Amino acid sequence: MRKTLSNALVDLGKSDPNILLLTGDHGYALFDDFRRECPKQYINAGIAEQNMVGMAAGLARLGFRPIVYGLSAFIPIRVLEQIKIDIAHDRLPVIFIGDGAGFVYSHLGTSHQSIEDIACSRVIPNLSVYSPADRFELTQCLSSAYQDGSSIYLRIGKDGLGDVHHFPPKIKIGDLVKVNSASQSKYSFIATGSMVKTAIDISNNLPEAIDVWSAPFIKPIDNLMVEKILRDSEAVVTFEEHSKYGGLGSLVAEISAESLPRKILKVAANDRFSQRCGTYQYLLKEHKLDFSTIHKNVHNFLKGE
Amino acid sequence: MKFNPKKIRKTILDMAYAGSSVHIGCAFSIVELLSVLYEKHLSYPNNNPLSEKRDYFILSKGHGVMAQYACMKELSWLSNEDIVNYFSDGSDLKGLADSHTIGIEATSGSLGHGFSVGVGIAMGAKMRKIQQKTYVLVGDGEINEGPIWEGVLFAAHHELSNLMIIVDENGFQAMGRTQDIIGLDSIQSKFESFGFDAMTVDGHDRVAIDKAITKFWKDNSVRPKALIAKTLKGKGVDFMEDDNRWHYTRLDKESYRMAIQSLNKGDS
Repeated sequence: MRKTLSNALVDLGKSDPNILLLTGDHGYALFDDFRRECPKQYINAGIAEQNMVGMAAGLARLGFRPIVYGLSAFIPIRVLEQIKIDIAHDRLPVIFIGDGAGFVYSHLGTSHQSIEDIACSRVIPNLSVYSPADRFELTQCLSSAYQDGSSIYLRIGKDGLGDVHHFPPKIKIGDLVKVNSASQSKYSFIATGSMVKTAIDISNNLPEAIDVWSAPFIKPIDNLMVEKILRDSEAVVTFEEHSKYGGLGSLVAEISAESLPRKILKVAANDRFSQRCGTYQYLLKEHKLDFSTIHKNVHNFLKGE
Repeated sequence: MKFNPKKIRKTILDMAYAGSSVHIGCAFSIVELLSVLYEKHLSYPNNNPLSEKRDYFILSKGHGVMAQYACMKELSWLSNEDIVNYFSDGSDLKGLADSHTIGIEATSGSLGHGFSVGVGIAMGAKMRKIQQKTYVLVGDGEINEGPIWEGVLFAAHHELSNLMIIVDENGFQAMGRTQDIIGLDSIQSKFESFGFDAMTVDGHDRVAIDKAITKFWKDNSVRPKALIAKTLKGKGVDFMEDDNRWHYTRLDKESYRMAIQSLNKGDS
């Protein structure tokens, strides 16, 4: 996904000289190509995220198209008020990229881990929230974000998990995309970001017929499409590398409560910080988001239906 | 066009009385600063607050917004109805600066936001090679906020010579004197040490303010500028001057009458 992100940023930068890439001293080698190809469009704002977002508002007011990059623990969490007041209040065309969402920085602890960002960003009026699952969705999300020209938070999780699509899906903003189809399915999985791959793997290892959907757009999301999935399913499981509060699972549960009550299992992080240090896989296990724990929980949930 | 500080203060009192609003002292300390900026320095071609060729003025200390509204009325950007209906249900003008009001560039009131927006505009103007200037007015209490100093470092590093920060040093913040809460000592030397050109003036001396701003731009320095304006919170009404109760106190019929009387008696 990182190479895809780098290429997409270079393409955008070269096609529109108003594109500016701002980073709070993050990104390391990720921006080598962009800096080489579009040197005048790259601003390292320093370790000063709040000022960076305020500046992005000023630059957008002059017709620039800032893309603000940071780790999702900082963009959007640290600068939430700047996003609310300086950017979203005026619907300024600024794209925020929050990288390393979830438990990517598994060895670094609470400051760099991010399971609050969807919940915190989706409540801000005028702010869209995108959460791509693989390089194809990332390219689509970035392109949609640029064309939409509104205020957007784009969440990027664990890199290198592999593709969930075999070719670029045709999607428009708000769509959910079916990534695994079963005939006469009784159940549906709706997953986002890094957990789409896991959702597919789990569905392939259960006897039940299950449709699996990827949700690259958390906000706006096509409510009618979610309602149809609910209607076509006896039960639904949501998957996300995010808190069980306020994320995709909450969103699906809200729509269900408003339109069509269904039993929903939320596969998500519990309301706790990481206790220990270790690999990404270790941390997933600590948070009960590893394959075998999820498999057992989903199996029991579906059995109870 | 000429701006009369006494008339601006009268408009502020009218608004504050009509809306039973707070922050009168915060507005009074910046009347001369705003009047000089609007009269002599801020360019709005065809008196159009949205002109693409305008200078940018950001009131980062949004609590002083009644002073800006009063100036906007002088410029005919606001009507008398806007003033007399201040804070009435369904009205547009809010109690803190809001960018949805035409003529106001940034939303403030949560402090420490406007300066960074101004840094972005100044950076963008430099990149576009356009000549418009950016002014940001902050409060002395406001510079407790960290993002101000993030922006100051950035502006100095990138030599944003088209940017001026004006600090309303009225010596107070919401709950008391700045020196008792977080002492600032010499604000001028702080900005100088961060790489700004800095001057301190009497913030109620219109001639001195004008001279200082003119000198900054004439100097052709590559540095951003900081104008420290020593002011009096509540300036213009004797019983409000240097009395922080007028950060939050509302006018009643009698205090409004006394305030108008004092304003008329005084020379500012």
